[in-house]
Amino acid sequence: MNKVDLTIDFAGLKLKSPVFTASGTCGYADELDDFMDIGRLGGFITKSITIEKRDGNPVPRIVETNSGMLNAIGLANVGVEKFIAEKLPLLKNYKTPFFVNIAGKTIDEYIAVAEKLAQFEQIAGFELNISCPNVKKGGITFGTDPQLIHQITSAVKKAGGKKILITKLTPNVTDISITAKAAIEAGTDALSMINTFTAMVIDIETRKPVLANRTGGLSGPAIKPIAVYLVNKVYNEVAKSANVPILGGGGIRSTADAVEFLIAGATAVSIGTASFIYPDTAIKIIDGIEDYCRRHKIERVGDLTGSLK
Amino acid sequence: MEKCTSKKKGVFNASVLANEQIGECFYRLSLAIEGQAAEAFNMTKPGQFAEFELSNASLPSEEKIPNELADKALRQIILRRPFSFSDIEITGNKGKLEVLYCVLGPATLRMKTLSPGDKISIIGPLGNGFSIEREKTLAILVAGGMGVPPLLHLAKELSKSKTKTIAFVGAKSGSQLPCSEIKNVQTLISTDDGSMGFKGFVTAMLKEWLVKEKPDVSKAIIYTCGPEIMMAGVAKIAGEFGIGCQVSLERVMACGTGLCQGCAVKCIDKKTKEAGYKLCCKDGPVFWADEVVF
Repeated sequence: MNKVDLTIDFAGLKLKSPVFTASGTCGYADELDDFMDIGRLGGFITKSITIEKRDGNPVPRIVETNSGMLNAIGLANVGVEKFIAEKLPLLKNYKTPFFVNIAGKTIDEYIAVAEKLAQFEQIAGFELNISCPNVKKGGITFGTDPQLIHQITSAVKKAGGKKILITKLTPNVTDISITAKAAIEAGTDALSMINTFTAMVIDIETRKPVLANRTGGLSGPAIKPIAVYLVNKVYNEVAKSANVPILGGGGIRSTADAVEFLIAGATAVSIGTASFIYPDTAIKIIDGIEDYCRRHKIERVGDLTGSLK
Repeated sequence: MEKCTSKKKGVFNASVLANEQIGECFYRLSLAIEGQAAEAFNMTKPGQFAEFELSNASLPSEEKIPNELADKALRQIILRRPFSFSDIEITGNKGKLEVLYCVLGPATLRMKTLSPGDKISIIGPLGNGFSIEREKTLAILVAGGMGVPPLLHLAKELSKSKTKTIAFVGAKSGSQLPCSEIKNVQTLISTDDGSMGFKGFVTAMLKEWLVKEKPDVSKAIIYTCGPEIMMAGVAKIAGEFGIGCQVSLERVMACGTGLCQGCAVKCIDKKTKEAGYKLCCKDGPVFWADEVVF
């Protein structure tokens, strides 16, 4: 066979490949432009946008760990108005669907950002960040409470009009299927999983946490096997029967890592921390998935989803 | 300092030419680049940097790992490490990059084992380097310890102009310096323990010199790189004497390319007077001292 069909159906959108770049690891696209053809991505998810500009946390915001890293950026972003004025016009240059990651301190703030952005054609949809572990009030408190997830998901879905809504789940819960179910019942079009694990690194000389925020979110290869397990769990327990696609990710560095997520039940994958090391990782993985499919005589990449034996 | 940003950055392979110890604390890594890499690094300004992928370089054998680094040697690194250059030479489509480094952690332990012929991946050139102010006739370089390397590169660039250059170099002790003088530049050394040159901090030596020599401050500029506390001291002196000052800052970075937003530097916006964060990797690493909140 020569041709592998890499296109996927993602909540009714036809995407040219199953690989996204993850929010907070790819800026607003212009930063990555020197390194790769953004147009080949299945989707691009921007850094979180909030109603007001946010400076973010004091430094250190980053610390490397064994096969991973902690970040506590604190949703530093330009704010929705400046995003519309300065960043949004640039997105027209790229032929890839853009998803804007939305964050806030209150449900009203999420709604306000979604309402302001709903009119723009160059935005394919939103990723709802209810799982940022680095912001006090909001973020993770929304993401761990099924009732709040229901409220915020349905409110943002309504505010976003026809835009696709992806809800990003935190792994910092006892049973992620419960939070996934809450988002699905509230009408989310897709799930994105997983966000980072809340974690801490201590400087033993000073006996203080290394990060100024004290805790941060653990990402990178260290979390990958847990992420694969959680994607498979949610796929089997809630997403498959509801026919809601999963954007899977957590520690993906290689084609093999990405294919694991697809087999586990993800319809698409997102590349995060790996882009810091090789900014063109997502493109290499698109090519790698194509090779894998050819080798295994898989005609459509979508056939891999949930093919775990 | 937007003018000195190089546009053609990329991920490139570099080939190790030499990797040798110089003095007690420093090592010098020389890398060969060619083709597009040489083209990209051709316009690199002193103070710009590259991100080095060192995770697949091997650790030294166990007996060669110093006791104080034994725990650090057990860390599996994943992120690249930023280095500025002590020298860059580009001729045609070939070039040589030179880095001076100290072995301090899991990445530099691996860097030390690179041998001639090994290939490593680098991303660069990144950030904004020193902006050479051509109208200034006196360049004052102030370096502390590991801050020396980019100023060696800068001194070489300055030597191509008519600018008079003087260098103040400080370290804890004489053995912790990569060199005892900067080539073709009047170099004044200070050490905390007095083992070489002036006994005391480099900032004290700088201040003494400014008081004694009374240079024309309107024609002078200070370029500095070293520990942040030292640069804060230099910035303060520069302010007192009314001398323009550029500082090369350092932050923990996950990417170096503006993606992670980890390397925040608190700055005052000169127009609005508001404090906010800039990024060390994209907006710096070289900043005007009077915009940085130390």
